[in-house]
Amino acid sequence: MEIKPFTDKPIKALEYDGRPAVDIKSLGLSDDDFLKMYRWLVFNRAVDDRGYIMVRQGRAGFYAQTSGQEASQVGSALPLTAKDWLYGDHRSQGSMLIKGLKPSEWFAHVLGRQLDPTQGRLMPHGSGRRDLHIVPPSSTVGNQITEAVGTAMAQKIKKDGGMTICYFGDGATSEGDFHVGMNFAAVYGSPIIFFCQNNQYAISVRLEEQTHTKTIAEKAKAYGMEGYFVDGNDVLAVYAVSKLCADKARNGEPTLIEAYTYRYGPHSSADDDTRYRPKGELEMWRTQRDPVNRMRAFLDGRKLWNQEKEQKLQTEVKEEVAAALHEAEQSPQPDPITVLDYVYERRTPHLDREREELAAELAATATQGAK
Amino acid sequence: MATAEVTKKQTQFTMVQAVRSALIDEMKADADVVLLGEDIGARGGVFLATEGLIDMFGKDRVIDTPLAEAGIIGAAVGMALYGLRPVAEIQFIDFLYPGFDMLVSEAAKLRYRSAGQFGVPMVVRSPYGGGVRGGSYHSQSPEAYYVSTPGLKVVVPSNPYDAKGLLIASIRDPDPVVFMEPKKIYRSIKSELPEGAYEVPLGKAAVTREGKHVSVITYGAMVLLALETATAMESDGVQVEVIDLRTLQPYDTETILKSVAKTGHVVTLQEAPRIGGYSGEIAAFIAEHAIEHLEGPIVRVSGWDTPFPYALEKAYMPNVERVRRAIKKTLDF
Repeated sequence: MEIKPFTDKPIKALEYDGRPAVDIKSLGLSDDDFLKMYRWLVFNRAVDDRGYIMVRQGRAGFYAQTSGQEASQVGSALPLTAKDWLYGDHRSQGSMLIKGLKPSEWFAHVLGRQLDPTQGRLMPHGSGRRDLHIVPPSSTVGNQITEAVGTAMAQKIKKDGGMTICYFGDGATSEGDFHVGMNFAAVYGSPIIFFCQNNQYAISVRLEEQTHTKTIAEKAKAYGMEGYFVDGNDVLAVYAVSKLCADKARNGEPTLIEAYTYRYGPHSSADDDTRYRPKGELEMWRTQRDPVNRMRAFLDGRKLWNQEKEQKLQTEVKEEVAAALHEAEQSPQPDPITVLDYVYERRTPHLDREREELAAELAATATQGAK
Repeated sequence: MATAEVTKKQTQFTMVQAVRSALIDEMKADADVVLLGEDIGARGGVFLATEGLIDMFGKDRVIDTPLAEAGIIGAAVGMALYGLRPVAEIQFIDFLYPGFDMLVSEAAKLRYRSAGQFGVPMVVRSPYGGGVRGGSYHSQSPEAYYVSTPGLKVVVPSNPYDAKGLLIASIRDPDPVVFMEPKKIYRSIKSELPEGAYEVPLGKAAVTREGKHVSVITYGAMVLLALETATAMESDGVQVEVIDLRTLQPYDTETILKSVAKTGHVVTLQEAPRIGGYSGEIAAFIAEHAIEHLEGPIVRVSGWDTPFPYALEKAYMPNVERVRRAIKKTLDF
């Protein structure tokens, strides 16, 4: 499959109905690889559905759904190796799971429990694990971009063979951090992929109100970098482009990938997307562009799949998700006294004094509660 | 050239030479220490704090950056997360604001938000302060912003010896440090420096001059003004104690309380504007914990609550007369 930068139309490996759009053999993927990708798509959809239900049930306070964008995350995260670093945003949990974050840890994150590797310190929009090189994201849009470049610069200085992938949305490309980060990476030849999940909305603001360029990928030109415009709902195309760009990154060539996709949910559980989406748009994407169905149709076409296998997979995934959620729910709330931990490596004398104040406050509250 | 001076066993160092000496010692000792900033390579930094370092350590470790402070701080954060110990130079601290978000939203919060998994061992070095005819954008003292951000440490040396020891301690510290260098005294005073690396511990103040009537609590370039005032007031029979905080966050409460218990009078001295300034924290702390020792009001001496002026700099900067009047005010109460 030929992969060119700066195309007018998104790069595709599959037609919308799942028929091959390119010579599939040229992707160098096995049937097992295809099945593994499909399983990840289904699994991420199931995790996301559960997260959303938790908010509806009042068990979680916040959730940013990723449904509709599974192929962008699965396709871009699968080429990563253990030594690669991942900087996410509030809609990259699928990639984090592929990188090794446990589903139970993800649900603990959503619930704010101790099992969450960030121990309930972040709003549930992305956890992180040092050992997996997943950096927990902040909520300030775009900040992860220059950070990710710094990590990629360090990887190059240390010649460790690793690279960095940095996720962000279409809205983030209006932030200064995007431009500063792209410029730094290009100047230093940093091993990084800038991965933009263009779901066409920054909360309510549509892409054409966000930028005057036709694509986001073409912004790479301004930094002397290649930009790839890929169909973000085509897991095979995203994989092929990401694999190519990961190899380029390891050779000191940073790239920008724009994955053109669509989110099914509102921006977050606090948003009302009926206020800004035109009628019928969501329905069109769900029924005609769905990334999971598209891969399923591809597998059907290759006689790799059938209804029986589908049912078995759905049951398996359902059980796995339920077990992960159960494990998360068994995990306790973080101990209130730990609120003063992790500001610095060691508590300063001031924090020690505040800890004494809090201990007294907690003891008094407990006594009053007992009365 | 400064490199040659070091090999000739230089013993008298200006502050900027002390800073350079600290960088050299730490870069030799630890391959993870890297420098990044504007003009720090061939130019050696606009104040020459990194002069010759690119030749000694190469451009992988002395990194000239594009002109974007947000990128400098952001890249330093990412390097530190990875495990390097970046020391970023911001040419003037007045230009740190584009990197402010990366410092307060990222560097300061990453350890906390990762529940201790990730540390950000980085230093942001930057010249600060007035008295150099630098006008509004080459003279600011913005320490209050950084001090009020949990997760950051803030260090301000007042002499070459402390500058080297505090900078080495900051580079070795596991958490992000804003290291403010008083550029007014970059070259005006010299200290005798021992050979090799040494630390001046963070969080420890110094009693720079002992006195029994009034404690002047200050830091950075203002320490010299406090000492000058103390000398000037000797003839009035007033014995001024000068406390050099050295680290503003975390700060040394013990030394402050001990001094207040002895003198019963406090003047705080900073060149930053007064409202919301760092001295307010010191004054509040003393009022909360040592009011029984106070025999007069805590008086704050500061710059005025204005932007920093150019031609009117002299009228803005604290001076002996301003400090003297404050001391009189609390002693005559």
